[in-house]
Amino acid sequence: MTSHDIAFVATGVLALVGGLLAITTRQVVHAALWLIVALLGVAGSVLVLGAELVSLVLVLVYVGAVVVLVLFALMVTRAPIGPDRQHAVGWVRRLAAGGAGAAVTALLLVVLVPLAGDWPGRQVRVAPIDSSAVASDLFGTWVWPFEAVSVLLLVALVAALAVSRVGAPAAYRRKP
Amino acid sequence: MNPQVLIFTMVFAAIAGLLLKRWHAAARAVAVGTSGFTAIAAADAMARATDQQTLGWLVPGLDLGPVSLPLDLGTSRATAAVAFAVALVAAAVQVYSTWYLRDDDRYPTFAATVSLFTAAMLLLVHSHDLVLTLIGWEVMGWCSYLLIGHWSRKPSARRAAYKAFLVTRVADIGFVLGTVGLIAGAGTSSLEGVIAAWGGAPTCDPLGQCTGPDSVLRAILLTLLVVGVLGKSAQVPFQDWLPDAMEGPTPASALIHAATMVAAGTVVLAALFPVFAQAESARWVLGVSTAITMLLAALLALGQSDLKRLLAWSTVSQVAIMLSALASAPAADGPDAGLFHLWSHALFKSLLFLSLGLLGVVAGGTAASLLRGVGTRSRLGRWTFLIGLLSLAGVPFLVGGLSKEHVLAEVYAGAMNRGPGLFVLCSLLATVVVTAAYSTRAFLVIAQTANDEEPAADAASTDAQPNRTDAVRRQGRGPASAVLVTLALLTLIGGLVLVLDLFTLHEASWIWLAVTVVLISVGCGLAFALGRSGDPGVRCAGRHGHRFDTGFGADTAYRALARAVVALARGVAFLDTEVIDGFVRGSAVAARVSGGRLDRAHRAERPRNGAWLVVAGLLALLALGVFAWR
Amino acid sequence: MIHALLPIALATGLVGLGVAGVLMRRNAILVLVGVELILSGALVLLVASGSLGGARYSVNSVLPLFVITIAAAETVVALAVIVAAFRARGRIDLDDPAPVPEPVPDPGQHSTNRWIVDTEPGQHSTNRWIVDTEPGQQSGVPTAGERP
Repeated sequence: MTSHDIAFVATGVLALVGGLLAITTRQVVHAALWLIVALLGVAGSVLVLGAELVSLVLVLVYVGAVVVLVLFALMVTRAPIGPDRQHAVGWVRRLAAGGAGAAVTALLLVVLVPLAGDWPGRQVRVAPIDSSAVASDLFGTWVWPFEAVSVLLLVALVAALAVSRVGAPAAYRRKP
Repeated sequence: MNPQVLIFTMVFAAIAGLLLKRWHAAARAVAVGTSGFTAIAAADAMARATDQQTLGWLVPGLDLGPVSLPLDLGTSRATAAVAFAVALVAAAVQVYSTWYLRDDDRYPTFAATVSLFTAAMLLLVHSHDLVLTLIGWEVMGWCSYLLIGHWSRKPSARRAAYKAFLVTRVADIGFVLGTVGLIAGAGTSSLEGVIAAWGGAPTCDPLGQCTGPDSVLRAILLTLLVVGVLGKSAQVPFQDWLPDAMEGPTPASALIHAATMVAAGTVVLAALFPVFAQAESARWVLGVSTAITMLLAALLALGQSDLKRLLAWSTVSQVAIMLSALASAPAADGPDAGLFHLWSHALFKSLLFLSLGLLGVVAGGTAASLLRGVGTRSRLGRWTFLIGLLSLAGVPFLVGGLSKEHVLAEVYAGAMNRGPGLFVLCSLLATVVVTAAYSTRAFLVIAQTANDEEPAADAASTDAQPNRTDAVRRQGRGPASAVLVTLALLTLIGGLVLVLDLFTLHEASWIWLAVTVVLISVGCGLAFALGRSGDPGVRCAGRHGHRFDTGFGADTAYRALARAVVALARGVAFLDTEVIDGFVRGSAVAARVSGGRLDRAHRAERPRNGAWLVVAGLLALLALGVFAWR
Repeated sequence: MIHALLPIALATGLVGLGVAGVLMRRNAILVLVGVELILSGALVLLVASGSLGGARYSVNSVLPLFVITIAAAETVVALAVIVAAFRARGRIDLDDPAPVPEPVPDPGQHSTNRWIVDTEPGQHSTNRWIVDTEPGQQSGVPTAGERP
C-alpha cells in the first residue's frame, strides 16, 4: 500500500458514504448537502490521481453551481423541513432499487476488473498533469468540441428560460 | 366328454335364458334341459375319468413376451368327481326352482344367472391355467351378488348382496396379487408350469448360489392366495357375509353358498397343492383361521334363531373342515381328503337347504319359532331333513360321515408332522361335538310341537313369503319332491363313490371311528338334555340370543373398518383437491395477478415507471453485452 | 504508484449508487442527485483511464471537463422543467398518475381536471400550449400578432 493508495481509499470512502447517505436520507435538503460531501470526495480522489484542474473545476461547477441550483429548486418547490413524509418510499422499493444498483455495479465490475490484471492488480504510475498541457490540448486539439459545448451551454440557458415561463402568471408575461 | 362341452352348454343356457325373459315356460324348459344334459355328461365323464391330463383349449393361448398364457383346460379323477357334484347340484336346483319360484316374475333371469354361475364353476374346476381360474372366480363372485340380491325390492336383500360382494372383493385383492405373482415368477400361467417353477425346494450349493423358487416369495404369494380363499369361503375374518347372504332365494343358497362357490377355494388350493404344501406360513395362516372358524361357526349355529342362518353357519364350519384338511395334510398325501369332503358336503348340504325350503313354504317362514313342529305336517320334509342332518353330524357310513373320517385321518397324519395339524386336530374334535349338538337341535325344532313354556321368539324370518297361497304351495311339487328324494338317496349311498377310486385317500382308522361315535353321542345327548324343555338353542343362548344372531358383532366391526377407510379416502381427496390442486390453481392465479401487475407497470402512466423501464433496459443491454461478448 | 483496482471500484460503486438513487426517489429533484452521482463515477473512470490503458490522445483532463460542463447544462434544463411542472400541477411527485386528457370543457363549466388551468367562461386559456378552438377558427399554435 502506497501513500497514494491510502489517500485514494480515504477520499473514495468519503465519496461512497456521502453518496449512500444522499440517496437514502429522508430529508430532502440533507440529501443535497450529502451530495456536496460526495462530490468533495470525488474531487479529492481525482486530485490523488493527479488531475488537479479537473478536481478544482469539479468543486467550482458541481458543488458551487449545480448543487446550489438544486437547493434553490428545492426551495421553490416548497421542500419541507424535516423528514419528507409526502414523498416517503416503502422498503420494497428501496430493496428493488438497491438490487438494480448492485446489478449495474456487478456488471460493470465484470467488464472492468480484467483491465487491472490478476489479483492484486497491477500498479500504475500516477503523475500530476500539467495545466498548461491541458490548456494546449483544450484550445488546440479539442477546440471544436470546446466551441460546441459553449453553444450547448447557451442553448441550455435559453431553453431553461423559455421553459420556466410556461404556466407563469400573466404578470410575468409579455404584455401585448 | 370334453369339459368345453359342459361349459359351453351352460353359457348357452345363460344367454338363452336372458333372451327368453318373458316366456317363463320356455325358460324353464331351457334351464332344466341344459342342466340335466350337463349333469348326465358330467356323470359320464366321472365314470370314465383318467389320471390328470391337460387337454383341449378354450380359446387359443396368448403369448405376451415374457409371459405366456396357454389358457388350457384339463381333467383328473378328483376333478371329474367335483364337476359331477357341481353339475348334479345345479340340475337339482334348476328343477327345484321351477316349483319354488313359480310365481316369481323374474324367474328367467334367476335361471340364466344360475346357468352362468354353473359355467363359471365348471370353468374353475376344469381349468389348468391360472388366468381361467381367475376368470371363473370373478364371474362366480358377480353371479353370487346377483343371486343374493335377486329379490332386489327388499332393502335387506340389496344390503346383503353389497356386503357379500364387497367383503369377497376385498379378499380378492390377495387372490389376484398371489395369482399374478405366481404367473410372473413362472413365466407362464399354465398349472403345470407354475407347479414346476414354484413347487420344488430351493437347493443351495456350497458357494451360496441358490436355484429353485424363492421360498420367502412363495410363502408371501401363497399367503395372499390363502387370504383370497378365506374371503370367498367365509372364514375368519371374512365370515360374516355368508349368513347375511341367506337373503337370497333358498335354491340359490343351496347351490352357491352350500355346495359350490364357498368351496371354490378348496378346488384352487387343491390344484396348487404341490406348491401350497411347501409354503409353511401359508399353511399356518389357513390352519389357524380354519381351526378358529370351525369351532366359532359351530357355536354360533347352535344359538341362531333362524334355521336357514343355522345352515349358513354350518356351511362355514364345514368349509373350514375342508380347508383344514388341505392345511394340515402332509405333502405326500395330496389334497383329496378335502376334495372328498367337498363332494359329500355338496350333496348333503344342498339336500338340507332344499328340504328346509320345502318346510319353510309349509310353515310360512324359516324362523325357528315358525318351524316348530312343522315336521309333523310334512313327511317328505321331515325324512329328507333328517337324512341330511345325520350326514352333517357325521354318522358313520353316510357320505358325510365317511368324508369326515377321512378328513380326521388326514389331519391326524398332519399333526404328526410339523405344521398346524395339532391345533386343527383339537379344534376338529371339539367341532364334531358341537356339530352333532346343533344338528340334533335343528331336528328337535322341526320335530317337537310347540310348548307353552317357550318364550316367543321375535326374530324375523329371512325367507318369509307371507303372500303364498296354499294352492301355490302344493302345485307342481312333483319335480321338487323327486329332487329331494334323489339327493337323499345319494346321501345315503354316496359313500360308494370311493369304489370308483376317484380320490386318493389316506387309510381311515377304526380307532378314530370309535372316537367319532363317542363324540357324536356326547353332542346329541347334550342337545337332547337341553331340549327337554323347548328349543335347545334358545336354552343355550339364553339372554344373549341377539348376539348369536349378529355373529358376535362382526357386522359392526366391518362397518367401523369401512368408516375408517372412508375417512381416509376423504382425507386423500382433500389433499388432492386442496393441496395438490392448490398448486395448479395457484399457478393460474399467480399468472393472472402477475400479468395484471406487469401490464400496469409497463404502461408508463406514472413517471416512476418510466424511470424503472429505462434502468431495466439499461441493465438488459449491459448484461447482454457482458455475457454475450464471449 | 496506485493499485489499478481502486479507481475501478470507486467508479462502479458510484454508478451503482447513482442508479439506485434514481430509482429510489419520488421527489423529482432528488432524482437529479442520483444522476450527478452516475456522472461523477464516469468522471473518476475517465481520469484514471489514462494511467490504466494509455490513451492515444492525452484526454485525461479534457474529457472530464466536457463531462462536467454538459452535466451542468443538463441539470439546468431539468430543473427548469421541474419548476415549471411544479407551477402547473402543484406537486412534483413521480408517483402521480399521468394526466388523462379531458375533453374540452363546456363554455360555462369549469374543468375539474387540475392539470388544465382554469379558464373563465368566454376567455381563452392563459396557457399558450392549450389551444381552444372556436368554430370557424383554425386550430394551431397562435402565431405572433394574435391574441395570446
